Amino acid sequence: MGGFFQAFWDIASSNSTYLNGALFAAFLAFAATGEWVAERAGTLNISVEGMLLAGAFTSAVGYNITESMILALFCGVLGGLIIAGVQAEMSHRLTADQFVVGLTLNILVLGLAGFLDNEIQPATKLASSFDVPLLSDLPLIGQALFGQRWPFYVLYPLIPFTWWLVYRTRWGLELRSVGENPQSADVSGIDVNKRRRQSIYYAGFTSGLGGWFLIFGQIGLFEDSVIGGRGFIAIAAVIFGGWTLRGTLAGCIIFAGALSFRLSVQGLGYEVNSELLQSLPFIVTLLGMAIFAHRVRAPAALAQPFVRGLK
Amino acid sequence: MVSGSTDLPGAGSSMESAPAVDLRNITKRFGAVTACDQIDLALTRGRIHGILGENGAGKSTLMKILIGLVLPDEGSITIDGEATQIHSPLAAAELGIGMVHQHFSLVDPLTVWENVALGDAGRLDPNAIRNRIGNIADQYGLRIEPDARVGDLTAGLRQRVEIIKCLRRDPSIVIFDEPTSVLTPEESVQLFASLRQVVADEGRAVVLVSHKLDEVLHATDDITIMRQGKVVDRLLAADADAPTLARGMVGRDVSLRSERAALGVLAVDDPPVDHVLAQPDGTPVLEILGATAHAPDGRAVLNNFSLKLHAGEIVGIAGVEGNGQRELGDLLSSLISLDAGSVVVDGHKITPGRSGAMARAGVGVIPEDRHDSGIVLDMSLAENLILVDQSAVAPKGFIDHGALEAHANAMIEQFDIQCSGPHAPMWSLSGGNQQRVVLARELSQQPKVLVAAQPTRGLDVGAIEYMSDRLRAAADDGVAVLLISSELEEILDMSHRIVVMHAGRLVGEMPRADVDLERLGLMMGGATV
Repeated sequence: MGGFFQAFWDIASSNSTYLNGALFAAFLAFAATGEWVAERAGTLNISVEGMLLAGAFTSAVGYNITESMILALFCGVLGGLIIAGVQAEMSHRLTADQFVVGLTLNILVLGLAGFLDNEIQPATKLASSFDVPLLSDLPLIGQALFGQRWPFYVLYPLIPFTWWLVYRTRWGLELRSVGENPQSADVSGIDVNKRRRQSIYYAGFTSGLGGWFLIFGQIGLFEDSVIGGRGFIAIAAVIFGGWTLRGTLAGCIIFAGALSFRLSVQGLGYEVNSELLQSLPFIVTLLGMAIFAHRVRAPAALAQPFVRGLK
Repeated sequence: MVSGSTDLPGAGSSMESAPAVDLRNITKRFGAVTACDQIDLALTRGRIHGILGENGAGKSTLMKILIGLVLPDEGSITIDGEATQIHSPLAAAELGIGMVHQHFSLVDPLTVWENVALGDAGRLDPNAIRNRIGNIADQYGLRIEPDARVGDLTAGLRQRVEIIKCLRRDPSIVIFDEPTSVLTPEESVQLFASLRQVVADEGRAVVLVSHKLDEVLHATDDITIMRQGKVVDRLLAADADAPTLARGMVGRDVSLRSERAALGVLAVDDPPVDHVLAQPDGTPVLEILGATAHAPDGRAVLNNFSLKLHAGEIVGIAGVEGNGQRELGDLLSSLISLDAGSVVVDGHKITPGRSGAMARAGVGVIPEDRHDSGIVLDMSLAENLILVDQSAVAPKGFIDHGALEAHANAMIEQFDIQCSGPHAPMWSLSGGNQQRVVLARELSQQPKVLVAAQPTRGLDVGAIEYMSDRLRAAADDGVAVLLISSELEEILDMSHRIVVMHAGRLVGEMPRADVDLERLGLMMGGATV
């Protein structure tokens, strides 16, 4: 047991644990922020996985062509928006089942990304680091939160902006009402499916940013396995967080902690079965869901399609 | 007044001004059903126009056309002398038409001001909306806390929010759709007082849609009666009386007591003669003891609720909708479990919430929403009849189609179900016949207790009569009948004993003969008297 605690302490006091944890959390947060918006409007948007992968791929290709990370950002957003467009128009204009559409999209994007990656083989690199003066000198979390590569910092304005959008604007009020009671929203004169489509586009936007961040802020190269199911962990973070933005971010941090812990265990030379470690974040996610999922209240119309005129 | 109609009595001096709304020849079909058939309707400023009709008469469809939720197939709409088309609720709002909806258009988790702001355009300014709410509240005596969560409010207060939401846009035409269905009698009186004020102020035109004669007679100026999608009569409230209205609504003279009760014609404080039950024998067949259950948000939906039911008696549960009646029905359908308390059926303690346990113990249920939990619309009549218990037609787990058909035919005959045969799909039956199927299925189980939740909702008058007779007959045969209804008249007409529910609690209990309406109304509002 002593060994266990020693190991735990080593990991908890290692800077790299926090550094990696922040990177993982940031990536999840990009995706989960938009996913949260989509779910508040009533779509359980499982194509977030595909949006992330598309965003990562198109930003890599964008950089390959333009050699500009800023332009790559726009390409990444475009990639996310394209997948969002298919999801939104299919599920909230043609009223196809949102899960079938999402599932299909995820598989399609995975296949396309693998194929096109081989064809194009986009060359990318990591962005430069930027230390925020003073703050980056804080112990443990200083480097993790304020000593990252610059794409990391895009997240900082994104979160309060999203909060403001959802809680302080008319658009946000309408999208919340659409997720809770689409019939009432319709009667009040709100175009329910339009708001839902827009909220999915917002998820595409943030996921596109997330894909771009992953390439230029974290790993520096594209492979078709870069997302590796973490889009689904982002969905779990929204549920874990009880459909509040604060809770969603807390979920991202906890799940990222598990991902980071896994890396640190190996990095610090402890020997644990690596397959078991691989599954750790998912086990934590499941446990988190088991403990918290029944205590929170989902948007009342989550995952329910809305068709006008039907009762 | 009602221009364009030839048989209008007492058309007066306001004929020269153009009506606020003039609907001509409005027709709307849903598949084979014509919900509105060449309807003409004119609304005048400064007057309350009552639209009276049974469920399914086409009132709601007509109003949805006016509010832009449904597009008419034919006909013209003229607002203040200008021909127009209304494609959406937003377009209706721009034309000055507002509606207070029957099933509220409110979003529970949002606050009052957020709900009031829904559907506006432009920047969201919470303080401006709070001020507007305050102004309307002062003007019409509709006090409300703008930062309260709508889900926490009582039905009366929620309706207040709904009215404020409607009045905030300063509509010139206001529609009230069945506004009293969720209110206590006292709240209804308050509502009609503010309704008068809404009309008096700035000469608004108000429509009151209702299936209650009494309400229309006392709260309106002009009356239009609809039946089966058509306008059958137009008259002035001052010239109308209840029997005339009832005849117009049903299409024939209304004589039977339960019909009159269903239509609200009956003076409810005169107890039915045949409703004095000999003292029931001692042991109750159904005994609910201290039942307590909570909604996911922690609110107690049943709160230490106890009730005893004896063989042969009909006990009516009175109360404003949403005070635990639905949960009581769910409890006896094994749909919910209890946090505390117990249920004893015929001397046996039944575990609440275990699927089918109540049904096996002898509790039959006519559920509140037959489409939701009473029948399967896409299955056949014969299949629907055996949903609860297949043992008679499938003794070894395989369905014997001959027995199934024989069983269905027997039920069709016994309950006089109008259908094309035992294999008719359920959706092809009318509402009244669907309800007969539910009744047939539950009664064929020979239950000891029969729970009838809103058994006549949405049925036409003939079907109501049939249901009432059957329930009485069941009680005469020794079944203990628990009648849950939001129609007070129905409860007063049928029950031997009346129990009042408020906020999940039993607030009062009295034999039918001792009913004092005022006291009953107070109890429904939550007062312990």
